[in-house]
Amino acid sequence: MSSGTWTGFVGLALAVFAVGCGQTTIAPAPQSTSATPAASAGGAEVLLHEQPVDAKPVGDVRESAEDGIEVTILGRIGGGANPWVDGRAAFTIVDPKVEPCHPSEGCPTPWDYCCSTDQLPKNRAMIKVVDAAGGTVEQDARQFLGLKELQTVVVKGKAKRDEAGNLTVLANGVFVVPEQK
Amino acid sequence: MLTFRPLPWDYGVRNLLRRPGRSALTLLGLGTVVFLVFLVVAFVRGLETSLAVSGDPLVVLVHSLGAGENIENSTIPGQGAGVLSASLGRVETRYRQKHVSPELYLGTEVTTESVKEPAMGLVRGVTLAAPLVRRQFQLIEGTWPTTGEAIVGRLAAAKLGCDPAELVIGRTLRIEGRPWKISGRFAAAGAAFESEIWCLVDDLQQAMKRQDVSLVAVAVSEAKGLADVGEFCKERVDLEWEATPELDYYASLQTHYGPVRSVAWLIVLLVSGAGAFAGLNTMYGAVVGRVRELAMLQTIGFSRRAIALSIVQEGVLLAAAGSLLAAAVALPLLNGLAVRFTMGAFTLRLDSVSLLYGLCTGLAIGVLGSLPPAWRALRMPVVDGLKAI
Repeated sequence: MSSGTWTGFVGLALAVFAVGCGQTTIAPAPQSTSATPAASAGGAEVLLHEQPVDAKPVGDVRESAEDGIEVTILGRIGGGANPWVDGRAAFTIVDPKVEPCHPSEGCPTPWDYCCSTDQLPKNRAMIKVVDAAGGTVEQDARQFLGLKELQTVVVKGKAKRDEAGNLTVLANGVFVVPEQK
Repeated sequence: MLTFRPLPWDYGVRNLLRRPGRSALTLLGLGTVVFLVFLVVAFVRGLETSLAVSGDPLVVLVHSLGAGENIENSTIPGQGAGVLSASLGRVETRYRQKHVSPELYLGTEVTTESVKEPAMGLVRGVTLAAPLVRRQFQLIEGTWPTTGEAIVGRLAAAKLGCDPAELVIGRTLRIEGRPWKISGRFAAAGAAFESEIWCLVDDLQQAMKRQDVSLVAVAVSEAKGLADVGEFCKERVDLEWEATPELDYYASLQTHYGPVRSVAWLIVLLVSGAGAFAGLNTMYGAVVGRVRELAMLQTIGFSRRAIALSIVQEGVLLAAAGSLLAAAVALPLLNGLAVRFTMGAFTLRLDSVSLLYGLCTGLAIGVLGSLPPAWRALRMPVVDGLKAI
């Protein structure tokens, strides 16, 4: 075989190797600035068109709300790497005074508040969108209401407290606060 | 009319037999290459299958928050199973027995009777609810353990790197400073549990001076029950529990082992490349040694394409024979062979897919290895070929 042919083979092998060992593209960290997904038909009935004026942040509601009273609560969707309940219109929110990880820190899931976990227990609440029968709607909140992590929401509903101090809001109305540009 | 007239099939076959030594060596080389491909593919398939069959779509694991990827570090209070049983609907229930299994799971040193050097084993403290939730579980020999006893999985010996005779019923293991008599052996349809040692959770808690468990496995009666468990854990923030469907847990392990699979496929590629070069070398030798013969074939009217095709035929025949030989050796030797791995142990799996991969690789090596020599045969001028010494 001529040296030219060999050179060709070696060149081809090197090219294949170079392609195979090329630097992997680093996927950008998930951002909460992506387009908001649309709510489903059922979810649209739950979404409020005007922001309730009497909303209190999560921390305040946790301190004052008693079991069974109507509350209007303000918070940011997050509080864990996965703040959603898969397959249910339920999610956790965190008091807006608690700051999520700053984008410059490169945290892939800033909504888990990993930089301020000590503040979470007193500033987290669970939201469950309930149907007429009082059961949690059996659709994922992301599809049902078109929500995504770190969105600020105002939720109207009934407070549910337990002996351990956990706060759950059985929601009948959700307002999504528009993102500031 | 000009029609394509290939060389007779027998011509290529006879040519291989004209150089028996060289053909046999090439056959052996290609067979070895394909055998290595079978080995790597069986490894990947075994690992994937073990993880795939380990997850039950109707089982959800409740563990401490953030311990989803390292369940050995999870801790749940001992009464966790009772809390879940009392709080959840849609839990599988038979004869008023809820299928909720508290389990203490750890990787720890295990010493067998004869081998004094301890090996790292996987131990799971369980209750009688475990076989209800782990539906793949089968007690294949002996009896369910009582206090001071343990049952061993089919692949536990592979995980411990010891002789299976060390783990027969009646032998004693030393775990967490205590002796445990082996009372039985179990299988789990190839699931990851097969590399574990199971004993009673109370017993293990006493030995470890612990009162907690690592996880609670809950079998639900319908898919919606998975969300019930997730909702409960999210609502009871104070408990700091998290629910992970078992399928998702093993899928995350699959992702975790993604780089291992990538390296395995790279090895397949490199080994195949080496095989192709071996075939290339042989077929070049065959062409160079038969320059005059190939020129003569052209002289008597065979087209260059027909000659090239005959050379490819020789290469493919050798590769096919080598692949079949490799399959014949690999099937009894590799299939079902236990392999120790970080997560436990699994068996190599030389199934139809693995065989297809290996045989196709063998044929591809045959074709790719003989194409350049065939190309060379096509380019050779007839007159030069006839005069070649």
